[in-house]
Formats: sequence, C-alpha cells, structure tokens
Amino acid sequence: MGVPSGYTSAQVVQAVPTGINSALVLISATTVGSAVASVTVSNAFSATYDNYKITYTGGVASTAVDLGMILGATTAGYFFGFGYIPWASSITSLTVNNGASWAYVGGANTALTFISCDIFRPFASDETLITSNGANASNGNFGGGYLNNTTSYTAFTITPSSGTLTGGTIRVYGYANS
Amino acid sequence: MATYKVQIDDVVRDATPAEVAQIEARQAEVEAQAEAAEARAVARQAVLDKLGLTEQEAQLLLGS
Repeated sequence: MGVPSGYTSAQVVQAVPTGINSALVLISATTVGSAVASVTVSNAFSATYDNYKITYTGGVASTAVDLGMILGATTAGYFFGFGYIPWASSITSLTVNNGASWAYVGGANTALTFISCDIFRPFASDETLITSNGANASNGNFGGGYLNNTTSYTAFTITPSSGTLTGGTIRVYGYANS
Repeated sequence: MATYKVQIDDVVRDATPAEVAQIEARQAEVEAQAEAAEARAVARQAVLDKLGLTEQEAQLLLGS
C-alpha cells in the first residue's frame, strides 16, 4: 500500500476488513456544570451493549471526596469492596454492605476528578457488576461490587460524598458485543 | 434544609426535597463508613501498641 502525499508511513491506516467493529464505542459525553451535588446521565445503557466503561476526568471538587454511583433510582442493595494503598503505608479497606450506593467508584479533590470503571450488564435483567481502579496524589486504589437486583437500567448518577463537582466530562463507552 | 444543585444530562437545576434527602442519605452513609474504618484503624493501632510492634513490623508479619 503506497503512502499518500502529505503522510508519513506511520500515519497510514490499513483498511478494516468487513465485520471488524471498534471494540469500544463512545455513547455519550456529558460536560459537568458548576457546583452540582449530583450528575445523572440518562440513556447510557441499552440493548446494544452488554458492558460499559465510564470515565470522569477534567473536573474538580469543592473538597477531597469519594465519588459514588447509583443506577436508575435504586438506593438499596449495593455491595462494594474498596482498597486504597497510600504510597508510604499499607492497604486500607472500605466496604459497602447492602448500602445506598457504590460509594467508592472514584475520587476527586480541588485539583482533579477521576472515575474509571467498568459496568457489566446494567441493561440486562440480572445482577449488575462493577469494577473500578483509581489513583490520586496520595494513593492507588481499586474496587469491585454488584447490585443485588434484576432491574434493567438505562441511567446512572454520580454523587460526591460531600460538597460539589464542577466541570470535566463524563464519558460512557460501550464494549462491542462482537 | 440545605440546598443543592443537581444535573440531569445537560440541565442543571435545584434539587427537589426528595433528591436532597437522597443526597444527604448517601453522604451520611459514606461518613458512617469512614468513621467505621477509622475505628478499625484505631483498634489495630491499640493492638500493635499492646504487642509493642510498629506498623512496619506488623506489615512484615501479616503481609498487609
């Protein structure tokens, strides 16, 4: 395949064979407003994808907080195990045992917001699973959990453990089923 | 009652009383969980003090 005029060889993109789809497809990008105590993304989940990736970066919080998540309007039945490892100390664990939210899917402070989580089968009528990983200036962290019901969800809400969020973008991606 | 702003997709508005209650319930739950974790850390330190071990020595013994 020749290199078109104006391109280097490194910029040449091979043709994609028929039937090969992008593995991760952007579904929505929501810009967070100013000083909001929660952000709901509607129409995030559908029958098109089984599994999803959600990120939230580029914003700030009014204080150092954990970022929690609920699906739809459900405020019970959340289970989550969370561990964080400070650079100069040992691991500390936090748990949500049949709680009102997945309370530790991400974190934020006055300099940043960070969520990187995968949600498995939220639209399907079975239990929804979640995993998350994160980091900030003081620790690395990880978590996982599930929601103990068989409700089908299309929306999620992110809430800081206190204070408010400003700015940044919440992106939802779907993992291609095939 | 405290006031909050909530965002639904691209629309920012004042929270309804029901939404305020939900926000404050979730905040209270997280605060309670953090207090429980702090209590566990204090209890752990008390045990280490009783045994005369430092945190680093405990990590070597227990791997955590």
